[in-house]
Amino acid sequence: MGILEWIKIMIGSAFLLCGVVIFFTELFGVFHFKYVLNRMHAAAMGDTLGITSCLIGLMIFSGFNYTTLKILLIIIFLWFSSPVSSHVLSRLEAATNENLSEHCEIYKDLSALEQELKDREAAEEKGANTL
Amino acid sequence: MVYHTIYITMLILLSFMLLACLIRAVRGPLIADRLMAVNMMGTMVMVMIAVLALMLNEGYLVDICLIYAMISFLAVVVLSKVYIGIYEEKHRKEKDPKNNGVKEDMSDGNT
Repeated sequence: MGILEWIKIMIGSAFLLCGVVIFFTELFGVFHFKYVLNRMHAAAMGDTLGITSCLIGLMIFSGFNYTTLKILLIIIFLWFSSPVSSHVLSRLEAATNENLSEHCEIYKDLSALEQELKDREAAEEKGANTL
Repeated sequence: MVYHTIYITMLILLSFMLLACLIRAVRGPLIADRLMAVNMMGTMVMVMIAVLALMLNEGYLVDICLIYAMISFLAVVVLSKVYIGIYEEKHRKEKDPKNNGVKEDMSDGNT
């Protein structure tokens, strides 16, 4: 094997290792957090970044042919589908959990949130002035 | 030979992670937990299929991987809609048990 072959193997292995480490981080986050909406944050990372780096490593191994093109198609499809499935899952959680306000703050409409943000800013400015 | 070792290592690591995902799916207290774990398992199985496609040198396995991605996405969306529907049905029955939710206007369903 020539030197170029070894460079290819090293770059591809680096991408694959990166993907496996991201999958491991995803699993750690999923077992570490206590609530679904927090766990979903960790799980969505593996769905997009983890599988993308794994498949980029495999694309480098595969070389320049139709298999590479199909793997690229998988990556593009996942970039579109993974946020949508996360959104649908969180909507399921928000629709079916009656005790949602125990886990996170809920604002009925956007104006309440804006009002609270304004109040917080005003309080901070006041604190800065007194200091 | 080097490629073969890398592929085998990837497959072993991914299968252990798949087992951990299965534990999460069994233990998850809520429905959304289980669906999320199934989604993660789908992602890892997709990587395993892509690794196998290169290891066995069979290009058509990547097509199966693409179809697996589509079916996994469809499963998550459809199951979420089904569970929202089941929950609303139960809720309506609890609210007025007289008419059992047989004749209701469907206009306020926000799904």
